[in-house]
Amino acid sequence: MESLLNPTTNAERGHRILMRRLMVLGLLPLLMIVLCIVLGFVEPKFLRSANLINVLRNASFLMLIASGQMMVLIIGGFDLSVGAVVALTSVTTALSMNGLSAVFPDSLFLVISGGVLAGLAAGAAVGLLNGFVVAWMKVSPFMVTLGTLSIASGLALYLTQGVPVYGMPDLFTRDFGRMRILSLPVVIYLTAALLIMLWWIMNHTKFGKYVYAIGSNEHAARVSGVKVTFYIVATYVSCSMVASLTGILLTARVGSGEAGLGSTLMMESIAAAVIGGVSLRGGVGRVEMVALGALFLALVTNAMNLLRVDSKLQTVVIGVVIILAVGIETYQSRRAKR
Amino acid sequence: MSDQADFQMTGSPNLYRMMMGFFASYGFLPVILVLLYLGFGLMEPVFLTGANALNIIEQASYLIVLATAQMFVLLTRGFDLSLGVVVSVVSVASAMVMVAIAPEGEGPVVLALTAGIFTAFAIGVTAGGINGLCVAYFGINPFVVTLGMQGIAFGLATTISGGFPVFGIPEAMINSFGQGGSWFGFLSPPVAICILILMLSHFVLNYTVFGRSLYLLGSNPRAAEVGGIPWRRYNMMSYVLCSTIAAVGAILMTARTGTGEPSTGGGLVLLSIAAAVAGGVSLRGGEGRVIHVVFGGLLVSVLSVGMNLARIDSFLQQVVLGFVVVGAVFLDRLRLRIRL
Repeated sequence: MESLLNPTTNAERGHRILMRRLMVLGLLPLLMIVLCIVLGFVEPKFLRSANLINVLRNASFLMLIASGQMMVLIIGGFDLSVGAVVALTSVTTALSMNGLSAVFPDSLFLVISGGVLAGLAAGAAVGLLNGFVVAWMKVSPFMVTLGTLSIASGLALYLTQGVPVYGMPDLFTRDFGRMRILSLPVVIYLTAALLIMLWWIMNHTKFGKYVYAIGSNEHAARVSGVKVTFYIVATYVSCSMVASLTGILLTARVGSGEAGLGSTLMMESIAAAVIGGVSLRGGVGRVEMVALGALFLALVTNAMNLLRVDSKLQTVVIGVVIILAVGIETYQSRRAKR
Repeated sequence: MSDQADFQMTGSPNLYRMMMGFFASYGFLPVILVLLYLGFGLMEPVFLTGANALNIIEQASYLIVLATAQMFVLLTRGFDLSLGVVVSVVSVASAMVMVAIAPEGEGPVVLALTAGIFTAFAIGVTAGGINGLCVAYFGINPFVVTLGMQGIAFGLATTISGGFPVFGIPEAMINSFGQGGSWFGFLSPPVAICILILMLSHFVLNYTVFGRSLYLLGSNPRAAEVGGIPWRRYNMMSYVLCSTIAAVGAILMTARTGTGEPSTGGGLVLLSIAAAVAGGVSLRGGEGRVIHVVFGGLLVSVLSVGMNLARIDSFLQQVVLGFVVVGAVFLDRLRLRIRL
């Protein structure tokens, strides 16, 4: 439509698209490289492999949850409940592992897989609730997920009364949670595999195409015969399941089921997604950029820790980074419209 | 439309119309409110006593103040996620100013109170100004702006207080704005201030150009722009008003606990939005009146006081609140459908 009203030559358009790509793709990695070099000079500890692995591991958790958030944002929604899902999953997994190991003390495999399944089921339930209410009842996703945020974290707190749940099998917490392959934590491999899968889903499957289509114009998608309701529900469920998976990985890492786990992840996941160029108006966003956004946030946090910035002040910096990132994106899209 | 036609054929159209008219303008809330009140009364007869009714009204007044603040932003199709933490910052900062001037109530108390209240308003206007500037003039999504502001304000509140409550506020502050005090001999200060804010908001929203423009801005932003309304300025002012009213709420809450609390904020955002939306303020903008906020605030307070009396676990209460929020927005959709 716009191109009809505003005829531009192909070369001109190609040039403009290239410039935008460069702006979008160029700014973030450039900023990260500069940050790394400066940090390396200021604090040599930064370049130690132990620290770099630490950054990667922290980034992995965030990448996972942010890529789930991305799918929901692309379809034109929001998921405020991801952090609470992490907490609920952590608590459910730990409690059901403890319960199962009391009944079947001998079969570790059953205990662990039962716990993991229970955690994933909890996540799926929250995702289903989100999806159904948003897609069928047409309630604003913001309010729905705010409600489920309250429900899920309330349940997690109620089940544990705020006390961490210990006593999960060592195989899960010690052997799996701290397992390394080629000196890299196993979380990094899992994250990489999942991100590649998501990339493939979003770019090369019908599901991905429809998610983008619904996000950019829901009505058009509906009229074209896309089962919009189904895809919205599926997207919310996928997002919650990814959050659930993150919760299980985090639980294995901390070694206990905690109702306070992941409380900052909601804000950080949205931050990583929008820093990675996902539009809050839906229809726009790419997995690889979101992963970069998450890595960037993890780097900034690590830098602040190394430079001994007070942890309370760190939220101030993250807040400023979020507003700036989206401000720049808004500015760019406004210029692009002109 | 078709529902109405069907029903008219079956009989008593006037009663039906009256009922639907009532639901369309006030929502289902007043009915639910009465049912809940009686229901809790059946479970716990104490609930129906006059003292408890006063208690509910007092509890609700804090929430109603914050929900009124939120309403000004909701009207413009905005959001203020930073409202809760702004309350924290204001509470902590004004308490620290008062303690610095008159430690333990020794010293120039009147000066301390004035300076504390001035600080509160200054912070409210600043936070709202930044939010409004980013939303109205830079065109950044209000969700992101206020999410960022939430991070910033939370960091500030915990940094300046070191994460601990600020003690030693002058007694005069607690007596004049806390629950123990009384204005005009019978009104408790939070209720009096709440009524004052409600009356002022009602006046601003209904009898000023600014107020009427907010409704237009929310229901049809394009029309507001074309109609020559200085919509950027008005939009920014709605955020400033929101944070300023939140600052008033913060003063009241500081006087209630007698301490500057760095951590009360978090849950207040959810509660304020829940109360406003449950009352009938629309998330799609352009719809909402002061009376809606009163109903919404009362609903949440009746629920929480009732659940406390029924000895329901505080964590479970959070679960119930979540369901109430989702249910309330669902009913909001239903109300829209009735009207169409």
